[in-house]
Amino acid sequence: MELAFDYRGDVTLEVTSGEKIEGYIFNRNAVASPPFLQLFPKGQPGEMKIPYPDIVAIAFTGEDTASGRSWEAWVRKKESERKAEAARIAGEAQARGHL
Amino acid sequence: MAVPVSQMYTVATYVLAQKLKGVKRYPLVLMLEPLFRCNLACAGCGKIQYPDHVLDKRLTPEQCWTAAEECGAPIVSIPGGEPLIHPEMPTIVKGLVERKKYVYLCTNAILLERKLDDYTPSKYLTFSIHMDGLREEHDIAVCRDGVYEVAVRAIKAALRRGFRVTTNTTLFDDADPERVRQFFDAMMELGVEGMMISPGYSYQKAPDQKNFLKRQRTRELFERILHAPKKGWRFNQSPLFLDFLMGKVDYQCTPWGNPTYNIFGWQKPCYLLQDGYAATFTELIEDTNWDNYGTGRNEKCADCMVHCGYEASAVNDTFSTLRGFGRTVVATLMPTAR
Repeated sequence: MELAFDYRGDVTLEVTSGEKIEGYIFNRNAVASPPFLQLFPKGQPGEMKIPYPDIVAIAFTGEDTASGRSWEAWVRKKESERKAEAARIAGEAQARGHL
Repeated sequence: MAVPVSQMYTVATYVLAQKLKGVKRYPLVLMLEPLFRCNLACAGCGKIQYPDHVLDKRLTPEQCWTAAEECGAPIVSIPGGEPLIHPEMPTIVKGLVERKKYVYLCTNAILLERKLDDYTPSKYLTFSIHMDGLREEHDIAVCRDGVYEVAVRAIKAALRRGFRVTTNTTLFDDADPERVRQFFDAMMELGVEGMMISPGYSYQKAPDQKNFLKRQRTRELFERILHAPKKGWRFNQSPLFLDFLMGKVDYQCTPWGNPTYNIFGWQKPCYLLQDGYAATFTELIEDTNWDNYGTGRNEKCADCMVHCGYEASAVNDTFSTLRGFGRTVVATLMPTAR
């Protein structure tokens, strides 16, 4: 549960009803009664609160958004790769109207 | 003087009122993060690494105002993400200003020049421009060429329009003290009201865990940067916090001093660590085990000297002891004596 809470990507929960819920876990409370986690479900508004006992399995299904984004990784890249990545990020921001 | 007298008076009377009321833990600056989406992707930043559907979420103006009222801090800092991306940011700021909150709108300034018309100059509103150094250092830090020049142009435009403008600078372990001093000169020459500086820290979820400063290195670096400060330098922060960075005084962290509210709720325990979220400010203050945090209490906090934990400690020192008050007066009136 702690690994899922620290994970910077979406996970898929399988709950006791058999339903599968994909989303980003942003909070958990292991000392509450019952303990629970909170997530933003992907593609749906609002948040969900799910008691630990209802969770059967957790799969790390989404991309880890922090992976490969370290300063070292940036420095290790060739100049041409850095320029390409900077251009891609700028392009994405422009497409959203944020530049 | 870097901070206007009216703002100093507001903060001073607020702190004294908390002390007279016997409030043990009071907030000084609300860190309001209305969104995590940014138009930059600085290597090492831990604030923007979320799936797209999370990055697309934003706080509403009502949520922002409610958080500000609930918390009660006299100052609201709006970091992000890039706040100027938020389509309702002018409304959010207007509402906070109407509530007489001193707002520091933190921005990389890429959109600032275009958005200035959406805002009205006020003593309550300051654009706090992210500047991590001179052109070379800044463009490297933000992983995009040309951002320094854009920011300088925006600073000039904002100043021309009568806005309060400060800079905020995070220094990492590759900082060259002489270049930082030149950077201070350049910012003062631009005419900004004051500068804010802080050491970088490897907060829990930041992907860059290696380039942040360790405590002793932090003290040495800031001593080299801030010794014999030039007369024209103005810092928009507590002088005792600068003394703390230079190793002249030691403080324990005050994590509740800069509480953080964002799309997840009230962040436990501070702006940098994410140990969970509370639904209300009261729950944050009452249910967080504060004794678990701070240098010597938690390995995650071991090397932290960041403003969001220690500036409130410095301000508290000013108003708690005659010695602290005296040091503040001397450092404010005679900054070059440092």
